[in-house]
Amino acid sequence: MIPLLEVRNLEVTYGEFAAVRGISFDIRDGDLLTIIGANGAGKSTTLRAVMGLLRPRSGQILFRGAEITREPAHLRARRGIRLVPEGRRILPDLSVEENLRLGAYTVPRPGDVADGIERAFTLFPRLKERARQAGKTLSGGEQQMLAIARALMSQPRLLLLDEVSLGLMPILVEQTFATIQALHRHGATILLVEQNARMALAIATRAYVLETGSITLSGTAADLAADPKVKQAYLGG
Amino acid sequence: MLFQQIANGIATGAVYALTTLGLTMVYGVLRVLHVAHAGIYALGAYVGLVAFRFLESFWLSLLVAMVVCAAAGILVERFLYTPLLHLPRIVPLIGSIGLFIAMEEAFRIVAGPYALAYETEIRFLSLGLGPLRLTAPQSLIFTVTMLLLGLLWLLLSRSTLGLAMRATAMDADTTATFGVDTRLIVSLTFAIGSALAGAAGVLIGVYDNQVWPTMGSIPAYKCLAIVVLGGLGNIPGSVLASFLIGLAETLLIGVVAIPFPRDALAFVAMILVLMFRPRGLLGKG
Ligand SMILES: Nc1ncnc2c1ncn2[C@@H]1O[C@H](COP(=O)(O)OP(=O)(O)O)[C@@H](O)[C@H]1O
Ligand SMILES: [Mg+2]
Repeated sequence: MIPLLEVRNLEVTYGEFAAVRGISFDIRDGDLLTIIGANGAGKSTTLRAVMGLLRPRSGQILFRGAEITREPAHLRARRGIRLVPEGRRILPDLSVEENLRLGAYTVPRPGDVADGIERAFTLFPRLKERARQAGKTLSGGEQQMLAIARALMSQPRLLLLDEVSLGLMPILVEQTFATIQALHRHGATILLVEQNARMALAIATRAYVLETGSITLSGTAADLAADPKVKQAYLGG
Repeated sequence: MLFQQIANGIATGAVYALTTLGLTMVYGVLRVLHVAHAGIYALGAYVGLVAFRFLESFWLSLLVAMVVCAAAGILVERFLYTPLLHLPRIVPLIGSIGLFIAMEEAFRIVAGPYALAYETEIRFLSLGLGPLRLTAPQSLIFTVTMLLLGLLWLLLSRSTLGLAMRATAMDADTTATFGVDTRLIVSLTFAIGSALAGAAGVLIGVYDNQVWPTMGSIPAYKCLAIVVLGGLGNIPGSVLASFLIGLAETLLIGVVAIPFPRDALAFVAMILVLMFRPRGLLGKG
């Protein structure tokens, strides 16, 4: 079977600095894959390259067998890839509802957009209370809910999640991971990037460890969680 | 006398609003000061005049001028700004000033250095409210402006395309990740802003009964001051500042008769407002 996403020898540079140094991985339908790694390891760079916001220096990205390495972000979005970016990137002067509508930009039928908004409000009732408020007036936790809900509007084939737990209160972190796990159970294919390795490994099916731009370990999430090196470096001994 | 000056101020403000809207929209998506926008305004006046001579219809000539200016705006975006965007801000600014000078020279070469008469019989209803009466040309300017502002407002606040335009101005990268072709949106923004400037040029040509090669010179810098006054990139702010400056110019100089060069007023207002609100009247933060 063709993987949903296949990344081959991906190299991404900022000027002369190589942030991602020839990594390869793949994601199959229904996977919840996690890439864990320290701050600066190249996780966000990888996701941004998969989304099409960065042009790789070399390597290939294939989505359902089609090469998309040079394709601009909006065309990849139309193929069904969605990114919840680090820092959430809520459009500050758009209302919560408008942010959701933007998320549904590729959805042609107005009825489906309305259904999507209803689904988002069911998943996160807080967003319904805030529907008409500008995005910038939301708390960090609410913005994170909006960022996830917005990415789900078009029912993506592949969801890229970048540090969704960053800066959230512990209770919200638990909730966020529970939401991700629920989405996965309902059939979503997810690539989760996290510094919070413990939580990520607890819900993922497979995992990669990224160190200064290179993949150093890979395997099932359970195997990596039991690996002494991973334990020592990422799970606090 | 007072009401006559208010009427003059409203008409002036309306033309400022049409012209500055394009500037503020362009700043919103590209973060460049589009000085050559005033060249598009003059282009609109010339095209409107030529079209009027052939078509003998004000409304058709307005439409032709807006379409030609929209196309010119897209060319400026594609061939001047987009190739220079990765360079420091000063580079597209210099390019813009250069293009503006080139356009003025082109008008001079093609149409001659003197003003061309813009003879139109304007038969249009005369609007009024109590003692305030607008002349037929002023009513036309006001009506066309309100119509275009209304359409723009509908587009921006009620359509998916408008949502994409606003989002692109806030954060183009993030907007693209939802499937929006942001390059197309930038071009469209230029097209709409330039069409509005073209309409302003036609209206001023009709109002003053003439067009001339350097008719964009004063708007080129005055509209920048108005845009900054309203808050760069802020559309309602631009409209508000346009009418305020239009009224202030006619009232302070026409009624109070302060001995002050009229065209400097926008700058004085800009400086005063920026001292207290560094981001302009309706700017954020
Ligand atoms: N825009 C940028 N310009 C230059 N260097 C960058 C930029 N973004 C990230 N980097 C560098 O690339 C490396 C990887 O960054 P990033 O992908 O953000 O890491 P992570 O998401 O794993 O924390 C880091 O060393 C970072 O400093
Ligand atoms: Mg990161």
